[in-house]
Amino acid sequence: MNDLTPRRGPIGAALPLVDGPDKVSGAAKYTADFLPPGTLVGRILRSPHGHARILAVDTAAARALPGVKAVVTGADCDKTFGVLPIARSEHPLARERVRYRGEPVAAVAAVDEATAARALELIRLEVEELPAYYTAAAARAPDAVALHEHRPGNVERDVLFELGSTAEGFAKADLVREAVYNCAEVCQNQMETHAALAEWDPLRGRMTVHASTQVPYYVHLMLARVLDIDMSRIRVVKPFVGGGFGARTETLAVELIAALLARKAGGKVRIVLTREETFLTHRGRPETDIRLKIGLTKQGRITAVECECTQRGGAHSGYGVVTILYAGSMLYAIYDLRAVRYVGTRVLTNTPPCGAFRGHGTVDVRFAFESLLDRMASELGLDPFALRRANLLTAPTFTDNDLMVNSYGLPECLDWVERESGWRARKGKLPKGKGLGMACSHYISGASKPVNWTGEPHATVKLKLDFDGSIVVLTGAADIGQGSSTVMLQAAAEVLGLDLGRFRVVSGDSDVVPKDNGSYSSRVTFLVGNATIDAARKLRHMLCEAAARLLEARIEDVEIEGEIFRAGHQDKGMPFAAVLTEALKDTGTITVTGTYSTIPESHGGKKYRGAAIGGTMGYSYSAQVVEVTVDEDTGRITVDKVWVAHDCGKALNRLSVEGQVQGSVWMGMGQAMSEEAAYHDGLMVMTNMLDYRVPTIQDSPPIEVGIVESNDPHGPFGAKEAGEGSLAAFLPALTAAVADATGLRIDDLPATPDRVYALLDKRRRQRGGKAAR
Amino acid sequence: MEALPEFALARPRTIAELAAARAAHPDAGLLGGGTDLMVNIRRGIVAPKVLIETKGVAALRTIAAAESGFEIGASATLVEIAEHAELRRHFPGVAEAAQSIAGPTQRIMGTLGGNLCLDTRCIYYNQSQWWRAANDHCLKTTGTMCHVAPKSRGVCFATYSGDLAPALMALGAKVELLGPAGQRRLDLAALYIGESRHDGKGKGDGKNFLGLLPGEIVLRVRVEDRGGWRSGYDKMRIRRSIEYPVAGVAVALKREGDALAGLGIAVTGTNPRPVLLEGTEALLGRAPDAAGFAKLDDLVRDQIMAMKTTFTQGFYRRRVAGVLARRLVERLWNI
Repeated sequence: MNDLTPRRGPIGAALPLVDGPDKVSGAAKYTADFLPPGTLVGRILRSPHGHARILAVDTAAARALPGVKAVVTGADCDKTFGVLPIARSEHPLARERVRYRGEPVAAVAAVDEATAARALELIRLEVEELPAYYTAAAARAPDAVALHEHRPGNVERDVLFELGSTAEGFAKADLVREAVYNCAEVCQNQMETHAALAEWDPLRGRMTVHASTQVPYYVHLMLARVLDIDMSRIRVVKPFVGGGFGARTETLAVELIAALLARKAGGKVRIVLTREETFLTHRGRPETDIRLKIGLTKQGRITAVECECTQRGGAHSGYGVVTILYAGSMLYAIYDLRAVRYVGTRVLTNTPPCGAFRGHGTVDVRFAFESLLDRMASELGLDPFALRRANLLTAPTFTDNDLMVNSYGLPECLDWVERESGWRARKGKLPKGKGLGMACSHYISGASKPVNWTGEPHATVKLKLDFDGSIVVLTGAADIGQGSSTVMLQAAAEVLGLDLGRFRVVSGDSDVVPKDNGSYSSRVTFLVGNATIDAARKLRHMLCEAAARLLEARIEDVEIEGEIFRAGHQDKGMPFAAVLTEALKDTGTITVTGTYSTIPESHGGKKYRGAAIGGTMGYSYSAQVVEVTVDEDTGRITVDKVWVAHDCGKALNRLSVEGQVQGSVWMGMGQAMSEEAAYHDGLMVMTNMLDYRVPTIQDSPPIEVGIVESNDPHGPFGAKEAGEGSLAAFLPALTAAVADATGLRIDDLPATPDRVYALLDKRRRQRGGKAAR
Repeated sequence: MEALPEFALARPRTIAELAAARAAHPDAGLLGGGTDLMVNIRRGIVAPKVLIETKGVAALRTIAAAESGFEIGASATLVEIAEHAELRRHFPGVAEAAQSIAGPTQRIMGTLGGNLCLDTRCIYYNQSQWWRAANDHCLKTTGTMCHVAPKSRGVCFATYSGDLAPALMALGAKVELLGPAGQRRLDLAALYIGESRHDGKGKGDGKNFLGLLPGEIVLRVRVEDRGGWRSGYDKMRIRRSIEYPVAGVAVALKREGDALAGLGIAVTGTNPRPVLLEGTEALLGRAPDAAGFAKLDDLVRDQIMAMKTTFTQGFYRRRVAGVLARRLVERLWNI
């Protein structure tokens, strides 16, 4: 348990991110900015076929082209890669079959772009076409050819559990409703396109890779695997990264292909993917079909839930097993559910592989769940807030699927958005065409059991204190724009009570920093934050010991304030410089190690296969109210305002928390209103910033953020995650607001004007009115 | 990363130099702001060996009051048009159209000439070389089939998406062209020949959509101040910035007492050409009323034929064009 109470230090402040100046000034170097002399240009040949058996990849002409230094194909690497040890189906370059349009087939390293491009044109790919399946339904047809022989029926994973009796639950209900929902596939579309620089040292047999990744550790593991060399011969550097949102949690083919090319060429190869290739690499949120049935009492108490969820996963396993499990397990831990049946199916299709996307696995199911609650509340004549309040958890508790909930700020989130939006006074009284809607969501603060379980602590952080009085936080945690470096620095400075200016963070170089499990599932603040606190406490203890010697006092009496070490109120104290000299006297440079491990109670359960997925040390909670105007003549929805309250346990950096929460809402807005991965015969058609419609600043409403601090007993200073939990609630809050404004229920996303118009038009026709022509 | 192919850049300073460069390099690409052309070059859609930059021709950068009207040079930027005080006062529809194009950075770079001659667009066309090859190319490039309308028998349905053309056409603007045979002036509407047979005219289509003679270039546009006309522009797009129009509508009208005395309506983002609606005179002589708007709906329905060239469904583009037209007429009527 964490008994730290921040008092006067940097924790809780609204602090600009420490790496902000580098980014804003352009000084920050991203992977593509590294171009050592002699670096070759790498380019990838991608399959134009959706599903085909590879008969030949003829590279003779490409290899013969002057200026081409290496060509690699599937024949160069028989190792698979993938994030889940149980499901590695993907080769860096396709072997035997290609399974989606855009899959890497061959790659070249050449002296310049033009030569590389010409070399790609000279490679001949001979195939025998196989039937291709671009929808989950087509892939599951009885006579469909299996994409992977070990996955008959093209089902990557099915999940089935029933906890409690849904039959009894529905029998007890006063109202039972069932509805189907569809959420389109969406892409992260982070600012920086994927890139890798691989440097092979042929004399020493060492590989150095710069990669735009969220998890340098996974890149390290996968490089060793596909290159078949010892991990100790590999160095992975993560420079500045321009966003991730889950797309870069998995190791991507680009990093591995660059390394294969570099080794074959005996030198350095840089690959910078185009925006189109970045989209094709994908790892986005899968298209999801949900059939949901809920039973409610007249008072709004949920008596039973039945959820069927089908995800179109794409051509490879990727994160699929985990995504389909999250979709089920995270039905829990937000409301008090006593009878739940979940049937999940992750389907393999001939589309680019999906992956982890902000709010991993939870978002589409949450959209369906909150949407159906809203519809049923209106049928029962219940206020949507009252319906949620009838189903709250009481922390601490364990859910029926054994998820540990120690802090639960959802009630306060509900209160805040209800009050700030003026819900009671305004709901139902807005002018025609305007509406208010609300919904809730939640998310984990890091998976309690990492997918690559080794028995090591979850997080390890080192602090180095040296003669100059500087304190360096050494961490493998990848700051990808989410602000983790800033938070680590704040945490260390808070515990040590020393000036923030003494601290800096070094991260992202496997030669220097301790291994970290990476930046995904909102784990860093909670897990690495606690490790940082642990390290800082150890260093503080060493400094206080030194101060106690100087002050001739007992160590437990030493206090640090304003860089003066004192023992007792009257003591004039010792300045930090003197304590530093004393502390270094025997050993010189001090390095301390802090660690953090999750507790077994947080590891989820064993009641069904995969029940560990969903387990975390702490859940964040979010409630939102969205106000819209709907133009019924054009189908355009305008979001006028969003009120969002997020329970992040404790805001370690208020500025950062507000930014993360607003970013989550904004990303949810994209999925709800305009973003969609569209295909033409399996060819992704919107692979650019014009056609993939991320909202612009012109589309962004005012987003009022309320921070709820439930002080999690295990969180660092009480903190939980802040970067994902507020995404999901936006979607159903938006459609609830549209329903309030128009009476129209939108069950399929995104709610683009043409789709909304079509629904309105259908309703006009059904009502017997004349439809517009 | 895809590097640009090599090209030579000609930078004429005068109209004579521009004409000479054009004559010397008949296959050259004309480079205004490059906001559309450079994207297409990077995608391997076109690869001109020579680019002729038009922005350096000072004589084409002017926006000037001319006898009873305005002349706008082809190299005037979109932001200059949008923010020109006199132009805004006399022809708000033109300024509104310029202001609605893409985003702020594109408006700083983009030009009148570039926007008027904007290449037609289609989801099967505005793609990378790899993508188009994987999809067997299309009529607008080197392919034999239109993926929008596989039975189109050689007709390309790529959509015209410029915003300034409809705004100027609704006001009856003329365009001045310069070619090997000298200068000529024609109705701006006549510059666009992408009738796509579908419309029943049969001159051009989405591929061959500009009525420029070989070697001809746009010099300037001239719009007459006919006195008492009001104008406006509105467009629907999924996001409120950056995007090309799902449908864009320009209206110019003249009100005399309680009657419409003149009405011009042009629509973009739907057909292979900006469409100057025919038959709007049927609404004249009385106030715009329900019967008038029903007639307007008929005109839009008959002449606006959005095909599946974007993600946004064709029927919606047509219908929303009708809604925007009606709303604009109402707004301008009530000014």
